Amino acid sequence: MDDAGFETMVAAHHGEIYRYLVRAIGRTSDADDLSQETFLRAYRAYRTLPKEANTRAWLFAIATNLSRNHFRAQSRRRRAYAALSAVVVETDGAGGPEGAAVGCEVAAAVEAVVVGLPLKQRLAFLQRKIHGLDYEAIGQSLECSAESARAHVFQALKKIRHALDGHAVFAKESSR
Amino acid sequence: MSPKSPVCVELEGDLVATASGEAQATAARRVQAHVGRCAPCRGEFERYQVIEGEVAAMRGHMLAAPHAALARDRLEARLADLRSRLVAYRVFASPIGPVLIARSEQGVLLVEYLDAGRSLKSSRLHGLPRVEAVEDGGETEAFYRELREYLDGRRTRLDWPLDLRLVRSDFHRDVLRTTAAIPYGAVVSYAGLAREVGRPRAVRAAAQALRWNPLPIVIPCHRVIGSSGALTGYAGGETSRKQKLLAVEGIPTTRARRDFRIVREAMYVRAPGDSEYCLPTCPSVDPFPLGGTLFGSRTRAEAAGFAPCSTCRPDLHPLAR
Repeated sequence: MDDAGFETMVAAHHGEIYRYLVRAIGRTSDADDLSQETFLRAYRAYRTLPKEANTRAWLFAIATNLSRNHFRAQSRRRRAYAALSAVVVETDGAGGPEGAAVGCEVAAAVEAVVVGLPLKQRLAFLQRKIHGLDYEAIGQSLECSAESARAHVFQALKKIRHALDGHAVFAKESSR
Repeated sequence: MSPKSPVCVELEGDLVATASGEAQATAARRVQAHVGRCAPCRGEFERYQVIEGEVAAMRGHMLAAPHAALARDRLEARLADLRSRLVAYRVFASPIGPVLIARSEQGVLLVEYLDAGRSLKSSRLHGLPRVEAVEDGGETEAFYRELREYLDGRRTRLDWPLDLRLVRSDFHRDVLRTTAAIPYGAVVSYAGLAREVGRPRAVRAAAQALRWNPLPIVIPCHRVIGSSGALTGYAGGETSRKQKLLAVEGIPTTRARRDFRIVREAMYVRAPGDSEYCLPTCPSVDPFPLGGTLFGSRTRAEAAGFAPCSTCRPDLHPLAR
C-alpha cells in the first residue's frame, strides 16, 4: 500500500485538526481521541478520495462530524456542558479594568465564550475564523447551506460580543 | 443597550461583517459612512474590531502544542496497528467461479472460492479477529490479472508476497511450504507429500493442512492427489475445479465414476530423490501406489530440472499424447 500521500497529509494537517478539536470539544483528552479517530477514518477512506478533492476541507468535515457525534452521545449521557459552563462562570467573574493582565484575560474570556457557544455555531465559527475555511466547505461539514454556515458564524460573533459586555476590553465604551 | 434606529438594525449584519473583514466592498462603504455619523454604532464597530483582534490572536496561538505532539505520537501508533489489521479484498469473476483475493500490508493472505455467495459474509475473512476487511479493487487488481493469466495458461508462476497469518500451525506451514515447491505441470500423492515433509504417517494430517490452505492456486494444493490416482478432495469436494486447474498445466485426467483420476500411463515419473524422470513403464520405477512425482510432459519435467532416464530413455521414446 502506498502510504506516502497519507503521511504527507498527516504531517500537513494533524496539528490544526487537533487544535480545532480542542476548541470544538473543550477537553484535550477527548480531542486527542477524536483527532486520532479523524485520521484513522481518513486512512480507511483516502484511497477512494477523488484526486481533485480538497483533503483539508475533507479532514475538517470528518472532524466536525465526529465532534457532533461526540456531543450527541454525551448529551445522551446527560453530561453535556457541565465542565464548560464552569469555565465560563469563572472567567466572567474575573473581569475588571486592571492593567497588564487584561490582554491575556480577554483572550481567555473569548476562548471561554467560544467553548460555551451552541455546537453548530462553535464549529462554524472555528472553521471560519480560526482555520479560514470557506462557507461552502463549512456548510458541507455541518450538512447545511453556505448561507446557514455564514449565519452561524454571525450569531457566534454576536454572542461573543454580548458575553464580553462590561468586560475590561470594552471599558472605555462601557460607561454608558 | 439603547434602542436602535431602523437604519442601525438593518446595517447590523454588514457592520459585523465589515468589522471582521468579511463584507463586500459596497456594504463596507455603507457601514463606514454610517459609523462616521452614528456614535453607538461606531462603538459597536470598535467592539467587533477588538473581538476580531482577539480572534486573530487565537489563530496564532499554538494551543496545547505539547499535547498535540503527544497526540501525533499516539496517532502513529494507532495507524501502525490499523495498517497491520487492514485487509483489502475484492471478489473477481473467473473461469473457476467467483474468487476472493485479499491482501494485507505484508502480502496476499487469502485466495478463496466463494461458492456460497459473493458477499464478505460467506468468506473466511468475515469475523476474523484483528482483521478489518475493506473492499478495495485497487489493491488486489494486479493479483487478479496475474491469476487470470495463470488460469489462461499464459503464466506458470504466481510470485506474490504472501502473508501466512491464516495458516493454522507450524505443521500446516511445513506442508504448505513443501506443496509450494511442487513444480508446475506435476502431481504428487498425499502420502508422498507427508513423506517429503518428514512425517510419512501423517497423511491425513497433511491432507487437512491442504484443506485449510488459505492460498489455493498460489500454493498449488491441487497438485496433490490420492495414491490411487484419483483427484480426491478439493475446495469442499469440487474436484472438477481441481481437474480444470490440472488441465491448464497439461496433466491428463479422465472421469471415473464420481471422481476424476489422472491418466498415469500418459505421464512421466520421477522417483523420490531421483534426478532423472522416466517413462511410466521404466523398470526402475514402482507402479502403484503412486510414489514420487508425475509430470504431464517432458517439457515440464525438464523445466523442473530433471534429466531423461538413461535406462528407459523418455527422450528417445516420448509418450504419445
